[in-house]
Amino acid sequence: MENNNKYKDASYLNCVHCGKCLPVCPSYNAVLDEFFSPRGRIRLILTDNGGKLPLKASKIFESMSSCLLCGRCVKICPNDVKIGSLVINEKIKLNKYAGNFQPKEKFVLKALKNKRKIILKSALKIANIYPVEKLADGYFPEPEGKSFIRNRDLIFNVSGKNILKAGYFSGCVFNNIYPLVSLDTITALTENGVAVFVPQAQGCCGLPFISSGDVKSFKEFALKNATAFNGENLDYIITSCASCSYSANNLYPLYFDENDEGYSEVIKFSKKLINIWSFFKEAEKIGMEIKSGQLKKETDAVFHIPCHLANAAGFKPSSPNERLIGEAGKIIDKIGGLKLKPLKHNYCCGNGGMLNIKHYNLSKKITKRKFDEIKESSPKEILTSCSGCMFSLKDQKGIFKENEMLPVSHLISVYAESLNNKK
Amino acid sequence: MNRKIIEELKALLGSGRVLTEAEELICYSYDATPKEFMPDAVVFPHDAGEISKIVKLCLQYDTPLVGRGSGSGFSGGSLPLKGGIIASFTQMNRILELDEENMFVSVEPGVINADLKAYLSDRGYFYPPDPASYEFSTIGGNVAENSGGPGAVKYGVTKDYVAALEVITGEGVIINTGSKTVKNVSGYNLTQLFVGSEGTLGLFSKITLKILPKPEANSLILVSFDDINNGYKAAVKLLRLLNKPSMLEFMDKSSIESVKSYFKSDKIKIDGNFLFIIEADGSRAEVDKSIAEYEKVLKAFSPIFIFSSGEDEDKKEIMEARKAISPSLRKYGDFKINNDIAVPINKIPEMLLFLEEISKAYRVPIINFGHFGDGNIHVNIMLHKNDAEMMERGESSKYEVLKKTVETGGSLSGEHGIGLEKKEFMKLKYDGYYMNILKNIKRVFDPGNIINPGKIF
Repeated sequence: MENNNKYKDASYLNCVHCGKCLPVCPSYNAVLDEFFSPRGRIRLILTDNGGKLPLKASKIFESMSSCLLCGRCVKICPNDVKIGSLVINEKIKLNKYAGNFQPKEKFVLKALKNKRKIILKSALKIANIYPVEKLADGYFPEPEGKSFIRNRDLIFNVSGKNILKAGYFSGCVFNNIYPLVSLDTITALTENGVAVFVPQAQGCCGLPFISSGDVKSFKEFALKNATAFNGENLDYIITSCASCSYSANNLYPLYFDENDEGYSEVIKFSKKLINIWSFFKEAEKIGMEIKSGQLKKETDAVFHIPCHLANAAGFKPSSPNERLIGEAGKIIDKIGGLKLKPLKHNYCCGNGGMLNIKHYNLSKKITKRKFDEIKESSPKEILTSCSGCMFSLKDQKGIFKENEMLPVSHLISVYAESLNNKK
Repeated sequence: MNRKIIEELKALLGSGRVLTEAEELICYSYDATPKEFMPDAVVFPHDAGEISKIVKLCLQYDTPLVGRGSGSGFSGGSLPLKGGIIASFTQMNRILELDEENMFVSVEPGVINADLKAYLSDRGYFYPPDPASYEFSTIGGNVAENSGGPGAVKYGVTKDYVAALEVITGEGVIINTGSKTVKNVSGYNLTQLFVGSEGTLGLFSKITLKILPKPEANSLILVSFDDINNGYKAAVKLLRLLNKPSMLEFMDKSSIESVKSYFKSDKIKIDGNFLFIIEADGSRAEVDKSIAEYEKVLKAFSPIFIFSSGEDEDKKEIMEARKAISPSLRKYGDFKINNDIAVPINKIPEMLLFLEEISKAYRVPIINFGHFGDGNIHVNIMLHKNDAEMMERGESSKYEVLKKTVETGGSLSGEHGIGLEKKEFMKLKYDGYYMNILKNIKRVFDPGNIINPGKIF
């Protein structure tokens, strides 16, 4: 693991400290202190690796852990400094000798390793019964019913010729906390003639672990997931969570090399995994006709573009909705009665990089800015397609009064509902 | 430095707005130059009263105080050369007043230029100064360095928009200069003295800027010539038009070569020896008329390529070619001496030829591009950090370039400022008597020499 070359990315040496990354960084904008900025983090990484000045690990960690891994700075950097993965590498380095985890973070990471997430779900239920949120800084999402995957593999068949066969990767949240999103994804796929296989051996995508610098657990999960889907003859592996696709598509290849056990399986999995919106665009290209649905009641909504949601390479928008939000716009086009309102800046929701667990108050400042933008569009509903974003957007304490809070849904759920109405 | 000042600053601002840990200070030790200096503390003032008290403390403890916006300067203006306190203005970022009747806007110095542009644009107004860093640099920094950009050819630079300032002098006194009038002759023009003073005379707390109605539309032309003289003549002719361009950027042979291999496009051709990016703005009808007129002028000088468009996608692609210069330079070296000389327009061809000779004589790649309309040439001398002998040749070539600039009647710096980067070259342009005037002016505003000491001279 230590001899992984990609792991030793030295692109921080390319930084000419121009400052271009400052205004796009959500955490910098919340505090306007350069210690919490991409340029500041790169300078700390440079110094820590150059050894000119002895720095405190815990203090560096404070700066690194305020990074949301949203990727805005990486996109804008003229010198190709890979800030997100450099921050992760620095966390991995610091994680080795610093006891940097807060008790809450430790608990969450431990609970995610538990297969059926019983501890996590129980803790969340208790937190919602007793108002612990008043005692501790934090937000505790309430689990919606029973987990989607339980003891066995799930298979959803469809009839017809030339059907596509897809695997479904749920991710922890859409399996355990918001399982309806998984059911709705299956509805959307099967209604369009896609057979779905859901192996029960899949687990967490690993992102919470790598975000905390725990590369060992991250790689264990990557291998576990790759193995779970290996052997099935699948056209695609689909996920409805933008952060899971970011983890599998972007990070798995960075932290595995040829010498690692299961390298080829992990890379195969990484290449085959596709986010739900890219899947529909792909499927349409090879001749699938995407069914239209109809909502019972017309509604205005905004779509929060998750930072980790990426359009497929070469994507060119072909409708106004696609111009606004990318590939997900295709599905909006298919939902009768849903009117998409634009968001001016597409700010970050404040959840990424475990920020809502590590720096709750900072995270909420970022969420507040997101809601300032949302309020300008005055929607009736907020849609998105990432489990982390759903957490942050549902946490509207201090933003709206209890009775004015906006519903937050996964776009796939609205689509599934519109298909059910048409039946 | 006396540690007591830290305690007093914490008592004044609260410990949350005083940074003292090495890990934090290091994030304020640099700007966009290769130089760096550690401050002893960073403070975040929120209003003029606090700034005044900070200045008085610095005076009492004889501690340097340096103002800093986004730290994106190219001359070292915000570097704490002698340590001391950095006053970060990032948290003073409110737009204070939009005076629509008189067409002025008042802002705190930490407002990002692009944020002000966007705020005004939403309301039908326009703040023209557009340094390349406008998306991240602050108005305070822009005023301190008198920043300019491509729009200068038609709209001028920051100084042409600063109408009034609230300034805290080196004695901690709050003064107000200028007025919300275009005409103002009442004593020395202190407003303009502060503009471009590189943060050495005082700290700004409020900046009042003139604004314009927003142009309705714009279109771009990309044109290239093989013959440098033809290109030069065509460009000069455009500047004499009543409806002159709102942007007239050029790339010489060196930067065309650099971008050619880096930037690929189906629509535009990066080739030739003298390339221009030209903009017309105004009402849609005015723009279309101007573009037709520009094209007629340009075509008379046998361009090898000409492309014009008002479509967003095309305009973006043309500007991408211009933006590609900086990153494309990396292949020539990992260390850049970035000069922003300005010469009289009629000396541009002579200067470009001279730069080609110097590049050959000193065996260093020199890549040039800039703003034709104001003779502002970005001369980038590209070097290898680890090649000491080459670094020396680079410094010598820089000296030759600046010497020649002065000989042509030009300026050592068009828009970056002198700061630390060029202060030893001031003597090329000014004698002792002149420099003494500058020093005496500084003494009047900052008798304790605590405000950004060691810059300009």
